[in-house]
Amino acid sequence: MKVAITGLTACSGCQLTLLNCEEELPELLAHCEIIYFPLAESGNVLDAQFDAAIVEGAVSTPKDLELLFKLRNASKLLVAYGTCALFGGVAAMNNGISTREELLRVVFGQGGEIPESFPPAPLVNFVSVDATITGCPPEKQEILELMAALAAGALPPTRAYPVCTECRSRENLCLLLEKRELCLGPVVQGGCNARCPATGIVCEGCRGPVREANVAQELELLLERGFGREEIERRMRRFKPEWNYGQRS
Amino acid sequence: MGSVVEIAPLTRLEGHGSVRVYREGSRVERVELRFSDSPRLFEALLLGKSFTEVPEIICRICSLCSTVHKVTALLAVEDALGIEVSEVTTLTRDLMLQAGMIQDHALHLYCLVLPDLLGVRGVAELARVAPDLLKTGLAIKKAGNQILETAGGRLIHPVNIRLGGLGRCLNKKELLQLRDELLKVLPAAQEAHRLFSTPFPFPDLAGPDFAALQPSASRLSAPLCRMSDGSTFAVRDYRQHMEETVVSHSNAKLSTVRGRHATVGALARLNLSPDLEKHASELFSAHKKELVGKDIRGNNLAQAVEMCHATERALRLIDRLIELGARGEQGTDTSPREGTGCAACEAPRGILVHSYAFDSRGICTWADVITPTALNQGALARDLLILARAMEGEETNRMTTALERLIRCYDPCISCSVHVLSL
Repeated sequence: MKVAITGLTACSGCQLTLLNCEEELPELLAHCEIIYFPLAESGNVLDAQFDAAIVEGAVSTPKDLELLFKLRNASKLLVAYGTCALFGGVAAMNNGISTREELLRVVFGQGGEIPESFPPAPLVNFVSVDATITGCPPEKQEILELMAALAAGALPPTRAYPVCTECRSRENLCLLLEKRELCLGPVVQGGCNARCPATGIVCEGCRGPVREANVAQELELLLERGFGREEIERRMRRFKPEWNYGQRS
Repeated sequence: MGSVVEIAPLTRLEGHGSVRVYREGSRVERVELRFSDSPRLFEALLLGKSFTEVPEIICRICSLCSTVHKVTALLAVEDALGIEVSEVTTLTRDLMLQAGMIQDHALHLYCLVLPDLLGVRGVAELARVAPDLLKTGLAIKKAGNQILETAGGRLIHPVNIRLGGLGRCLNKKELLQLRDELLKVLPAAQEAHRLFSTPFPFPDLAGPDFAALQPSASRLSAPLCRMSDGSTFAVRDYRQHMEETVVSHSNAKLSTVRGRHATVGALARLNLSPDLEKHASELFSAHKKELVGKDIRGNNLAQAVEMCHATERALRLIDRLIELGARGEQGTDTSPREGTGCAACEAPRGILVHSYAFDSRGICTWADVITPTALNQGALARDLLILARAMEGEETNRMTTALERLIRCYDPCISCSVHVLSL
């Protein structure tokens, strides 16, 4: 299996998650041929044909787009790897609030040159995506599942239940209902085994919306508990800029 | 006739970058170091966000150093709002910083640098030609990662450390388990220096102007920064001493310290503030000749010494945490108020400064982050030019290989560095 692994606009955390599979890594490397992986390999070849391209990060520069198109054309399967690749991620949180120019000027100053970039967007806005792994960062288990599935000629399983499902089965205290905190567990994609609520921290939504999320209900619940609409939306936007707040169950 | 040699993308380092060597015949005219990561504009994104959100958002600036970013951000926000934390919280944060140092240095040395020493492409080939060495490195890395996983609640972008305290305290069983894991890899961490003391083949470079934070026994955030000439300045006044300018070919701004291209990181720390645990201190004494006053080629050896130090220090912190016992954190007052705060910590790659201002509702009105790689950028560009000139007339391949190796000595973290604020 010939593989490309790379990142666009991101923090490299998804790629690092692969390198963090310390025990499995040697065996995993024996099962696939990594042709393009600049983070951990030199002498990369991009004009090869790949069985799978695993791409981290959002698209926010012409260079990102160029690399994404190259990989799409060269690869049988393209995997959107992590929350930024899937939803835009943290870099996209102000999409629709500030213009790119405004944000760039705050950082690079009013006069002079600014780097060429546009509002960070998910891969699927530009190319077809065959499989997805969510998370900021993804769980180690999920990248291993992906590699195993690809090696077997299949696609990885998708999960369609919220963080609450796993949180309940771990018998955690419900931070939303019992502690009246701003927890996004009901509308966020599970698979992390309710990592944050299990340490007493609210779900910040890093895995993005779960399929068929009842956003309207969550919004109502949080408004009833005294949180302001602005605060709630700001929190929900952290990893995905647009939510369908009007959706009803 | 003029020609340009481009090394793109730079490999075995974090983020996107390239180098262009401009030549006139065989003469090297200039060298351009380009950090091309797309700017994620964190400082701009933080404006208008609540003080509680700032550490959670900003730690995403980087995955390799997300722990030290989160800790530094927490310290800066707490400084701004006058929040005090308990000893258990401080010790737990310190433990995570040591763990971050262990896993980061182990990753860099064994996965990214070792291939250079053995003449292979990267980890995949390492797994074939030197499986035992790779396994040793990964085991050390894993011990650091287990601490981050347990104490941080997650390995990358930790969640358990939060404003004013911890999500939950570690219990004795967990601490003992982490202690066992560290003891298992301690011998390997103590031996690592042997692998990375091999001198690099390329010509001598300029003697660096080191800058490092002066450790404080009572605080996690350092109050003073020290430089090679013995001068110091208060971290709180960093904007008077650290200057940032936009470079047209790089998305990261060039940061200078007191007008100089400072070198920060492991080698700078060992040169300026070698506050080391017992065995690491012995290693440092034994390798002084290769480390003190030396150019950046000594940095990988310095990282190996620090990896040993961090392992020893983590063990000591765990012992103290066991002694104190897991206790419920006192409820700390984290209500919003107007204020500005600043904190600086030593990240694996060097000095990291976070600074924030909040209005009376706790909404962020100003944010500034100075990262180690932005600080190192000037020195790295200077060394690249010196090296390229010293290798004029050499085969192009030999030169580009040497330049890439030089860059890896600095262990740059590009995605972190492409975030700087102008005023």
